[in-house]
Amino acid sequence: MRKLRYGTMIRFLTIRASLFAGLWWILAEGRSDAWLFGCIAVVAATWASLWLWPAAPTPIRLAGVVGFLRFFIWNSIRGGFQVAGMALRGRAALQPALIVLPVNLQNDCARVLLINTLGLMPGTVGVDMDDAGVQLHVLDRRLPVATEAQALEAVISKLFGASS
Amino acid sequence: MIEWLSAGLLIVGAFFFFAGTVGLLRFPDVYSRLHALAKADNLGLGCVLLALAIQADSLAAALKLLLIWPLVLAASAGIGFAIARRARALGIQPWQKEDAR
Repeated sequence: MRKLRYGTMIRFLTIRASLFAGLWWILAEGRSDAWLFGCIAVVAATWASLWLWPAAPTPIRLAGVVGFLRFFIWNSIRGGFQVAGMALRGRAALQPALIVLPVNLQNDCARVLLINTLGLMPGTVGVDMDDAGVQLHVLDRRLPVATEAQALEAVISKLFGASS
Repeated sequence: MIEWLSAGLLIVGAFFFFAGTVGLLRFPDVYSRLHALAKADNLGLGCVLLALAIQADSLAAALKLLLIWPLVLAASAGIGFAIARRARALGIQPWQKEDAR
């Protein structure tokens, strides 16, 4: 973070401080009588964030965020309905299996996001992860989980700025 | 109108919490129980929070309620993965149907 130019540093600080100020506004439920503490909290949070997550150009693309959120919310709904249906039908609905899928994502954050998100998507829970791929537990091996996991991987890859 | 929408969402949310708990009780092993808890309860929580947010007094209060959702999702996804990974490391085999074994 020392190598960044002065202007870039100011821009990072402004963005982060505004995000923390927005967060404080939400936490205070819009009241204005506690802004003294709010300012202290915003400064402290911005300072802490520079230590925990040094300012660097983030690879995350805004268009990718929108695409990810849409994919995520739609599939959360599908996953909820699917598992609720299975729960009401009981064990007879299950055909569990452990499967291994190759993963092409290089970025570590992207891979962690993938394995965690898979636990909220229809039919899959992440069990283990190594350099080559992920191990998943699926509730019903007859479902096209590999296709869905690859769709999620493509969405995350766009989120982290891949061109395709 | 908003009261009815809110009430409808609360009932849908309660249904998913119910289904998630039914899954927790009925599913045979740790892995499939994780499926039920993570997915059904998160959708249920999303519905309940949305129902409360549209009834909130101010925009900031509504956003505060909605902010709970991503925080719980992150915790639930991370913990679900951690439990599944630990279970695997302990050598717990996933439950299989009798005839599929």
